[in-house]
Amino acid sequence: MINKATINGKEVPVSSGLTILDAAKVLQLEIPTLCHADHLQPEGGCRMCLVQCEGKDRPVASCHTEIEPGMVIRTHTPEIESLRRTILTLYEGSGEMTGFTEGSVMSGRFRDLMETYRLWNGESEPGEPTPTDESHPYLRFQADACITCRLCLNVCEQVQGQFVFGIENRGPHSRLVFGAGDEFAESPCVACGACIDVCPTGALFDVDRMTIVEEAKHTETVCGYCGVGCRLDVVSEKNRVRRIDPVRDAAVNRGHLCVKGRYAHAWHHSEDRLTTPLIREGGSLREASWEEALQYITDRLNQIREKFGPDSLGAFTSSRSTNEACYLLQKLFRSVIQTNNVDCCARVCHSSTALALQLVTGTGAASASYTDFEKAGCIVVAGANPTEAHPVAGARIKQAALNGVPLIVIDPRRIELAEYADAHLQLLPGTNVALFNGMAKVLIEENLANLEYARERTEGLEELVEFLERVSLTEVSLITGVAEDEIVFAARLIAKHAPALFVHGLGLSELMQGTASVMTLCNLGMLTGSIGKPGAGMLPLRGQNNVQGSADMGSMPTHFTGYQPVDDPDVRALFQEYWGELPPTKPGLTSTLMLQEAAKGNQIKGLWLMGEDVVQSDPNQTEVVRALENLDLIIVQDLFISETAKYAHVVLPACGFLEQEGTFTNGERRIQHVRPAVEAPGESRPDWVVVCQVAELMGRSWNYDSPADVMEEIAKVAPNLFGGVRYDRLAPDGLQWPCPTSSHPGTSTVHEERFLRGKGKLVAVDYEASPEHGVEGFDYLLVTGRLLEHYNVGTMTRRTPQQDLIDRDELEINPIDAANEGIREGETVSLGSRWGEIDVPVRLSTRIAPGTLFLTFHYPESNTNRLTGPTLDPQSKCPQFKATAVRISTKGSLIHD
Amino acid sequence: MANSSLVPPSSQRLPGRLKFWDAHGGNVSPFHGIRDYVLNHGVPGPNDTTRLASELRIPEATVRGVATYYAEFGTLAELAVCDGTSCRLAGSTELCDRLDERGGRYQKIYCLGFCDRSPALMEKDGRVFLQEDAYGFISGKGGHREDHGNDLPMIRGLATKNVVTGRLLKGGAPGLDAALKLGAYDSLKAAVKLDPGDLLDLMERSGERGRGGAGFSTGRKWRTCAEAVSDQRYVIANGDEGDPGAFVDRVLMEEDPHGILEGMILCGYAIGATKGIVYIRSEYPLAMKRMQQAIDEARAQGLLGAKLLGTGFDFEVDVFSGMGSYVCGEETAMINAIEGLRGEVQIRPPYPAEHGLYGKPTVVNNVETLLNVPFIVREGAETYADLGTEASHGTKVISLNHGFANPGLVEIEFGITLHEVIQEVGGGGKDGKKLAAVILGGPMGSIVLPKDWNLPICYEALSRNGVQFGHGSIVALPEDTDFHGLLEHWIEFMVHESCGKCVPCSLGSQCAANALDSELTAAAKKARLDELFTAMEQGSLCAFGQFIPNPMRQLIEHFGDRIFNEG
Repeated sequence: MINKATINGKEVPVSSGLTILDAAKVLQLEIPTLCHADHLQPEGGCRMCLVQCEGKDRPVASCHTEIEPGMVIRTHTPEIESLRRTILTLYEGSGEMTGFTEGSVMSGRFRDLMETYRLWNGESEPGEPTPTDESHPYLRFQADACITCRLCLNVCEQVQGQFVFGIENRGPHSRLVFGAGDEFAESPCVACGACIDVCPTGALFDVDRMTIVEEAKHTETVCGYCGVGCRLDVVSEKNRVRRIDPVRDAAVNRGHLCVKGRYAHAWHHSEDRLTTPLIREGGSLREASWEEALQYITDRLNQIREKFGPDSLGAFTSSRSTNEACYLLQKLFRSVIQTNNVDCCARVCHSSTALALQLVTGTGAASASYTDFEKAGCIVVAGANPTEAHPVAGARIKQAALNGVPLIVIDPRRIELAEYADAHLQLLPGTNVALFNGMAKVLIEENLANLEYARERTEGLEELVEFLERVSLTEVSLITGVAEDEIVFAARLIAKHAPALFVHGLGLSELMQGTASVMTLCNLGMLTGSIGKPGAGMLPLRGQNNVQGSADMGSMPTHFTGYQPVDDPDVRALFQEYWGELPPTKPGLTSTLMLQEAAKGNQIKGLWLMGEDVVQSDPNQTEVVRALENLDLIIVQDLFISETAKYAHVVLPACGFLEQEGTFTNGERRIQHVRPAVEAPGESRPDWVVVCQVAELMGRSWNYDSPADVMEEIAKVAPNLFGGVRYDRLAPDGLQWPCPTSSHPGTSTVHEERFLRGKGKLVAVDYEASPEHGVEGFDYLLVTGRLLEHYNVGTMTRRTPQQDLIDRDELEINPIDAANEGIREGETVSLGSRWGEIDVPVRLSTRIAPGTLFLTFHYPESNTNRLTGPTLDPQSKCPQFKATAVRISTKGSLIHD
Repeated sequence: MANSSLVPPSSQRLPGRLKFWDAHGGNVSPFHGIRDYVLNHGVPGPNDTTRLASELRIPEATVRGVATYYAEFGTLAELAVCDGTSCRLAGSTELCDRLDERGGRYQKIYCLGFCDRSPALMEKDGRVFLQEDAYGFISGKGGHREDHGNDLPMIRGLATKNVVTGRLLKGGAPGLDAALKLGAYDSLKAAVKLDPGDLLDLMERSGERGRGGAGFSTGRKWRTCAEAVSDQRYVIANGDEGDPGAFVDRVLMEEDPHGILEGMILCGYAIGATKGIVYIRSEYPLAMKRMQQAIDEARAQGLLGAKLLGTGFDFEVDVFSGMGSYVCGEETAMINAIEGLRGEVQIRPPYPAEHGLYGKPTVVNNVETLLNVPFIVREGAETYADLGTEASHGTKVISLNHGFANPGLVEIEFGITLHEVIQEVGGGGKDGKKLAAVILGGPMGSIVLPKDWNLPICYEALSRNGVQFGHGSIVALPEDTDFHGLLEHWIEFMVHESCGKCVPCSLGSQCAANALDSELTAAAKKARLDELFTAMEQGSLCAFGQFIPNPMRQLIEHFGDRIFNEG
């Protein structure tokens, strides 16, 4: 009997690392536990899983004892059962000391076990129950129901990496504590809710799990709160979302969620949801029927098209909507209206990233996948703050760092991940190109580059080497503010642990040198031989839940669906076949240019804005408002009257991600099935349906019965990327494109054998200061960004209890700067750029370096984007949100101004 | 507690644990910062917890957990009253009563390690008052109040070759000059010319077994550590002599610190470690001071530090102060403490020899174990192996408490009977009192009745008879012992020292205290205690919970009538 053991007389194969508990599960034998969870390291504390092992002096704990060949295990002998029973009596028996009262346990594993061992006294009443900690908007803690099993502590440390919990005192006096104070709300908890899922007594619970849902309807779908794309199990009742659970075995989130995904769902029944179409009449919007609104839209589109030509119209698809809706809106504008003026919010976020990756690798998307977080030998996080903006991905990066994977953070702010990093290069905003060139120089000069890879798989090496000879590290250090030895250290570290995973975000993209930033980062990826290898490569974290998809679908003025150029004859022939009519070969305008044109009163006269709140989210708000005021037609599809909807001529009530069917594509190119969990209020209609109805009124018969039909067409028009994508293949975890055929499993690592463009391209680009650098009289550089608690312009999250966590935008300023300016914590200051001025309260923070400031844009009242200016990346047209020259004046001094 | 490796290292281990501390890279333990704070200000409140957490770069909840784990944190009073078993038997309770009457502030401690001269008190400045002086101190009147903390106990060497007490028998050698005159570092000077592999062979051939209590092969532990793949290794000298009744380690650290250092350096050389830590319990301030002085002297003379003795070998040693936790004598708990975590035991495997301090291979050896090493190197493995018995090579220093006519330390060769030690060396009970039994090996040891005193002291015979030898302390139990009080004391100790990691021990101990204190009939009390002890023995994670019930069972078995007849 080699490599076999027996449990209760049944043979079980033995393999390295397998515990007795694991092996018992294989045999479908249940061994009781109170402190164990399969996804966590064994705790070994509750001792309920003790089993008898022949030849051993005493029982062994099956959760942390590896099963060995020849072992003879018995899991339920009378001695073992009696032992378990005695151990279960200890909780109540020592309750006076531990503060535990059996009667306070409402449900869960503990109570089930007590019942199994006939120890549960149903009549046991809690004497004087301790008050429940209700300090947190979502989480609750009932101290006298806690058995200090530490599952919460372990899941918090080993999954979220937040270290909220601790154990105070010792022996029988041990009790659970959180953070530094007595109340849960004071702890560093980020309300991911993982502890709630594992608590065996219900001592930790939350507002969504307080009552039993009687007529529960479960809907498996995908989260709409960022590009990570976590799978959700939405539990609803009577058309209300009652709670959201993570899907246990989801490839993306592996049973984990963040505070937004789990708790921020109340927006769906917010009282100010739009329920009927609205049409502008006089100065205000009035209710209208769908029939009237759709006819109005059709007529106005036709009139403007006839009067000013097709290129006077444009559309912004929504990155929060589905692939199918995006595809259809760009199809409507391209084939029916016949303009290439279609774009999406990727323009104002990752357009530089997509363009750069397209140029140097051959596809504008991630080469790597989230699964690479666990495989990586080294992780570089540049211009991204994943623990706030992509929390589930951020938690995985943090775990990798805690497990010893070298982590390098490149960011003007000391973001949370910097605390776990081996190196934090705190560069001046907008100087990435200089820094990456400096690092490349170190790789080449110190002979650390993977030249074999560079020679075989890339082109442009010689030019790059020659260019780098002229780069001076001293100068790089002066430009970036990063010390030379730190640059050298980081470059060496990456080289030592290469191939490396490069996780990057808007801190690279949203700059005048956005495209150049990403291309020079790709230089590092190629010089270290990282792109196209598992556990390595380029992994841009996409912001909106479907921003990858909206671009994939052709929401860009230069490309049809699947990144196919609008002027390519073969491509046009294919689209002609399926669409019947085509736009001109000339590319359209980007979203930023459409708005600029409108502001000038030029070419653009009408815009269809699908869920896009350009007033709050686009740069240079004053100009955006001017553009909207100039337009003859603004069609807005949204959930609420957004800042932009206030200027609309017609507003259509839309469906949110919990309310419509379709697909989202996450940041690792994974197309996942989105299903409605609840019905949208009133007369709201799914985005894709509305587009079809307008097309019909414009005389086209599209005949899609469902989003699945739309996907079939998408597969046909872009076969290289999506040819094998069909709805019936999307369960459970979707497909990662490229997926060209119906038998293709999808692609986790792109460019594995060769770059999609043939050879990877190394680029020699020099650093160039943007017009926001070195502006006289504006001594600070402002970075804008987001917080964990809110999602972009906050349309949804501000209508949930997230509001109780964070209820305003605050300007982060380094205490040294604050002292110099004479600014106190909490004081409201006036912040001005050359483009606008706002009032904002201040928070002192050492996360930001002296000379730089940080401000969120979640609240319309803040008007953060009045400050950001007109500077664009000349290649991608992406605006520079991440570096704006500003000055601060205290309110007092303003009066004298 | 004893260093209790009961199971040999396994070839496979479960996946490595995740520790926040790893993020610190193992440079400076945050423990120091918490200890400094608590000693000056007590347990930190919310604001200071937040500040400490940010300064030490550990989570707030961890600061709280650590600050409240260690018994002495925040409660170090002006006066410590030893409440170890020996002092309890000598009337420590009476001392406390008198202090209470006077309203004196004091703290009970397990134990100060002066069991040969109980009872004992220690002032905050380290002055120690023993026996009559202790009573004199408490009474507050004149008379005897002398500090006898520096006095050596009676020391006898009865082995053919006195391996451990050589320098002690010559009056001790805390300073380097004296130590060098008495042969310290001679073995090191010879060994650095050897290949480290030869040293490992030598240790394995010597057959030395760990003196902390578990008796695991020292040579095998070293080899496992040496062969584990790693860029860094550590040597930890376990000076956390927690067994009330044992005081040999205290005396060794105070009187022969260079011998211990030499053993550590030899270990470091053999296994390829460059860093050593002497973990000393805070109840032993003089040992800490002497050990630190020895390190400084040795470093100044090039016996320690970079390229010591002109070789290419670097070795540094630091002293790490414990803070009053018996369980920290267990190697995995000790490692947690050094890393700045709560001194709770960890699941084994992985064993420290493969996955120890900061996740690196680590040898944890008791200080007496290490003091054997220079002898083995000097005299050879065979000479060493000739001492003792077939399976127990060498010698052992036994601590005899004040209850014997001749208390003190005695180095014996394995194989001598308990009877010889108790009656011939110890001279039987003090003042001619007849002994009802002895406690061998501290709180996790055994109660041995006179009828079993013919057992030879060696691992094989004792374990065959189910007797736990622990760290070799013997506490006399005269016929007039208050056995109910003794059981109560034992349970108090168990409740106080249980770390809280596993349920049978942390809650079972409290349930046992509740049961003893309850209104139940004697028979029902015995039955409940039996049930609880079984759960602890069978179910506890570490040796503490597994072994501490046994001597209590023996007490109840042999002296049950005298324990329960009053209730």
